[in-house]
Amino acid sequence: MKQTIYGLLLLLFLALPPVANLMESVMIIHMHMQMPMLIFTGFLIARIFQLRFPHSFDKWNSNGIPGIILFVIIVVYWTLPRSMDEALNEQSMEIFKFVSLPLLAGIPLRDSWKRIGTVGKNLIIILFTILFIGMGWLYIDSPVQLCNNYLVIEQITLGWGFVTTAICLVIYLVYTTFTDPSKYE
Amino acid sequence: MQTAKSQTFKDKTSKVMGINKEDALLTKSYIFVAFMALLLGGILGLVQGLNRAGLLELPSWVNYYQVLTAHGLILVVVLTAFFTIGYFYAGLSHTLGGLLPIVRKMAWIGFGLKIVGFVLAVIPIIMGDASVMYTFYPPMAAAPMFYIGLALIVVGVWMCAFGAFINVANWRKNHKGQHVPILAFFATGVFVLLFFGSLPVAIEVIVMIIPWSFGWVKTINVMVARTLFWAFGHTLVNIWYLTAVSAWYVIVPKIIGGKRWSDTLTRVVIIALVIMNITGGFHHQIVDPGISPSVKFMHVFMSLAIGFPSLMTAWAMFAIFERTARKQGGKGLIGWYKKMPWKDVRFLAPMIAMIAFIPAGAGGIAQSTNQLDQVVHNTMWIVGHFHLTLGMSVVMTFFGISYWLVPYISKRVLTPQINKLGVIQTWIWTVGMIFMSGSMHWVGLLGSPRRTSFTTYGDNATALSWSPYLMFLAVGGTLLIIGVILQVYAVINMMFFAPKGETEFPIAEVEENAAKTPYWTERWGLWIVIMLLVVAMAYVIPLTEFIVNAPPGSPPFKTW
Repeated sequence: MKQTIYGLLLLLFLALPPVANLMESVMIIHMHMQMPMLIFTGFLIARIFQLRFPHSFDKWNSNGIPGIILFVIIVVYWTLPRSMDEALNEQSMEIFKFVSLPLLAGIPLRDSWKRIGTVGKNLIIILFTILFIGMGWLYIDSPVQLCNNYLVIEQITLGWGFVTTAICLVIYLVYTTFTDPSKYE
Repeated sequence: MQTAKSQTFKDKTSKVMGINKEDALLTKSYIFVAFMALLLGGILGLVQGLNRAGLLELPSWVNYYQVLTAHGLILVVVLTAFFTIGYFYAGLSHTLGGLLPIVRKMAWIGFGLKIVGFVLAVIPIIMGDASVMYTFYPPMAAAPMFYIGLALIVVGVWMCAFGAFINVANWRKNHKGQHVPILAFFATGVFVLLFFGSLPVAIEVIVMIIPWSFGWVKTINVMVARTLFWAFGHTLVNIWYLTAVSAWYVIVPKIIGGKRWSDTLTRVVIIALVIMNITGGFHHQIVDPGISPSVKFMHVFMSLAIGFPSLMTAWAMFAIFERTARKQGGKGLIGWYKKMPWKDVRFLAPMIAMIAFIPAGAGGIAQSTNQLDQVVHNTMWIVGHFHLTLGMSVVMTFFGISYWLVPYISKRVLTPQINKLGVIQTWIWTVGMIFMSGSMHWVGLLGSPRRTSFTTYGDNATALSWSPYLMFLAVGGTLLIIGVILQVYAVINMMFFAPKGETEFPIAEVEENAAKTPYWTERWGLWIVIMLLVVAMAYVIPLTEFIVNAPPGSPPFKTW
């Protein structure tokens, strides 16, 4: 219950116009900080839904796959330059961002993450590693502005943000592949 | 690699017999170099302080900036690195049941590399070819040998870091499911930071500066170099601090006859400091051009976040003090403080160090605020700040550690005389540092610049008004050199002349009714990945800007 309140407070904080404006003024902070934080608020808010409606989650998301697919679709949608641009131009899209990322990405992620097992988790991380390398390449290499609202330099920065995040994911995958926790734990 | 059985046998013997000879020799060598560096660096500091106050004219063959470079390098790199490694290797040896032979070998190779590197770096300083100060900012360029020496020091540190990882991993294999002993956990955090924090500076020195100082490339990207330097520089500061903190959490409670307060909190503080540290480098660049105000504003949050674990530490320490003192009959709201062992130097020195961290930390928070920093950034205030943090909070803790660590590794005892000498030394150092650091802070507020030798700017009235404060600086510096001499005397005495005997390695136990520490605290692989992610997030914006929109670059300059 406490978690849900913290999640709602964080969501409220992120939605405050000065905070939202500051975060959206830098392209990479918009995509790599504001959006993950919105997902994180959903992650926290999910607690109350898990407590109140355990059966519907068990029924619809028993193996975690529907939830994780919903999460992937929403997240992939928000990595598109077009969707980010629209969030800045249209009030309704901005609202959709603040609703979809917590509710349709954060909550399913929390519920699915434990259900999909180690293989599922690693597959998701591999998927995002490939996606991030691809998006990084797109944003770094594109000769033109992909978003009307951001300069090319910001786009390149975001591209490198994707690539460095992908590198971290690769390091994590290498670490989990080559270390055997049963030797230590 | 030893088997689990022999490991536990070794555990027992090392607890009974104290440190084995080979591990003792290793730490002794590191500590000896550290305190010789203190003596040398201290003398240079005095010379510099007297010159800066206008009291001493340097001979024509020595330059103020040359002394400044040597003073900085010897104390900031040699003293701290050698002390930290010597102390933690003794801690690893004690808590993990002895060092593995391979690890000991790595630490010795590291020792050799660092000494060779140090000699290589010092030669050009003495020759007057490397008066670039310890931050060695391009476009000021030293002779290539200076940078090669620095690179070797870094490689030496890496050897010691990986040695520590191997020893800890081996212990964990033999003690499945157990928590790494707390001092070894601190050592792991420190060596993780040492390795990852020195990566950026290694890239700066090896990839950028060395080819440029040889003339193979014509120009250098100054902003990238500075940014890589501070990713390391700030981490180094916090490595000293984390080393001091390890003694506050683990050693001090034992010395005052108490228990450690919360194991989980201690480990969370270490993990938090490791994850959030490297990005703190940005608050050293708060007045640098090329970083947009909004990014600087975001980084204020990162910097203040590092302050949070420190506040947790302050809270935990006072909890330990009060609980212990009350158990020993302390009464009243603050009257319990009388029950603390003020006459024991092993407590007094770190205690004053902790108290000094209150104004030191507050000053740090002021400096990481853009508007406040603009007032003091290029003034003596900053010099005062790092003499308060490093010269008091960190170094006085190191001094306090030396009064049990040196007898422990030398199989000698701390005599009442040396204890008394230590108490006197602690007070001299405290008064000296209050004078010196205090006057530096104040004169900085009045505008006296840092990184500048003594000048009255043609008897300008404002510059002349700084002189009385600089006089206090000289008085403080003189007291400090007395402190240095007493401290080095005490270390040499405890190392070679004190009566033989057994000294305990004081590690406090956890309280009896303490909650169990969760196992996730041991997942270092995960913490390191999160740390890298935070670093990537923080550095990608300015570095992309610096590189993509790079200016033409700068040729090397010799400004002295």
